Amino acid sequence: MIQKKICLLGAFSVGKTSLIKRYVDSIFEEKYLTTVGVKIDKKLVEIERQKVMMMIWDLAGEDDFCKLQVSYLRGASGYILVGDPTRPHTLDRLFCLHKKAQKNIGNIPAIIALNKHDLCNQWSLSFAHREELEELQQPILNTSAKTGDQVQSLFIDLATQMLSN
Amino acid sequence: MTLLARTFQGFNQWVLREVSEQCFEPITPRPQALSPLFKLDDEFLHIGEQWPFLLHFLYDAKAHWIEQHAQPLISGIWLEDCQGKEIALEASALYVDGESLLIVHEIERKYGETAYRLQSSRDHLLVEEELEREVARRTRQIIAREEQISLCLLAAAGCRDEETGAHIRRIGLYSAVMAEALGWGIDQVDHIRMAAPMHDIGKIGIPDYILQKPGALENDERSLMETHAAIGASMLSDTGIEMMDMARDIAQCHHERWDGSGYPKGLRGEEIPIAARITAIVDIYDALVHKRVYKPAYSEEKTYDIMSSMSGSHLDPRLFELFQQNLAQIQAIRQQVQD
Repeated sequence: MIQKKICLLGAFSVGKTSLIKRYVDSIFEEKYLTTVGVKIDKKLVEIERQKVMMMIWDLAGEDDFCKLQVSYLRGASGYILVGDPTRPHTLDRLFCLHKKAQKNIGNIPAIIALNKHDLCNQWSLSFAHREELEELQQPILNTSAKTGDQVQSLFIDLATQMLSN
Repeated sequence: MTLLARTFQGFNQWVLREVSEQCFEPITPRPQALSPLFKLDDEFLHIGEQWPFLLHFLYDAKAHWIEQHAQPLISGIWLEDCQGKEIALEASALYVDGESLLIVHEIERKYGETAYRLQSSRDHLLVEEELEREVARRTRQIIAREEQISLCLLAAAGCRDEETGAHIRRIGLYSAVMAEALGWGIDQVDHIRMAAPMHDIGKIGIPDYILQKPGALENDERSLMETHAAIGASMLSDTGIEMMDMARDIAQCHHERWDGSGYPKGLRGEEIPIAARITAIVDIYDALVHKRVYKPAYSEEKTYDIMSSMSGSHLDPRLFELFQQNLAQIQAIRQQVQD
């Protein structure tokens, strides 16, 4: 069985833990509980007839006082960048984290989750943000941990990318 | 049990000595809180894939031990699931008396305090963000309302001549395109979008027999007509509002010419406020491509030829170049905003 490490990166309160909980345990909790440190979840999936154990590292969200410890990215085969378009400044944090990840672990598969799609009527992405997202040239999925929309695809698409990498 | 061992146990810390690759021998008793999580194998702890975070930390710990650092290297907090409960842990690596030591701490209290502190500060930040969004939303509503009122009043004023509501809106939107292309900030773009439509507001003070005269104006009539710039500027003065100051400059200077041959002051080049130079270009464009009592609507080609011949004499050549570069957007506005 292949084992792959993936990391979830993003500003605080964008829904990283909720995406993992939805994917691994099929649950969603409305209340925001901040993640402290690191929590690793495992999920066994089968992709192209290969069993893959995904080691999903939920890393504490970034803010101005709490920065990502880049050593946690070591050994990752892919990462998910999570942004919350209802809070457009979280996209700026997403771009910074992408650069940080690329600098430290190189060009490995990545995927962007624009989360809280159930609140898409409150999304306020500027033209500049959309352009910058396109420039990253990474797959983008509109996800909702609340409804489960695109959550499965998010992890499976990344795993597929990682296997073909 | 030594006093030191009891102390470590009391603090829920477990001290282990590295004996071989990923294999550790406990040198203090395992604290109760860690017992269900870490099972010993022949009195040794083998750190493998079952503890991925700890295994990951060993990589950094190894380098720390090789360099024989006595000060601890801290792993940072991580959580392990144990019998349906989450246990908060932290590990330290240090090198003491020729031994590579690994200390695993159960840090329920520290975790609780850190989580409480972080949660409070982030809840506070989220409330602040929400309030900022609400203020921004309401400010946008106020600006939109002000803009709408101003456009209605301008359209009412324009009823006396042939200035239509759509023309007034287009002038604002064209000017905003130019301002964005110049890299102005969002506030300045908003200002010119609202200020440029007021360029001819002074015409309210011009008698009907001049304003509505179908033929060419006599010299004295023309002189009177030209006072609309000063009348407009006077109407828009002394408000203490930044956008209105820009509107005043535009009203006063939109008939000035790049070569100094315009009115009312004969300003030249960059003496003419840039907002007025922008408005002059888009006002001429809109007047040329639409029908007036004294002329038919000209084609885009003919308009372009006429304006090209004005560039450098009547119009700011650099701004006219920018206008050409953004013509597609200008034309789209022309198509969308019709009476």
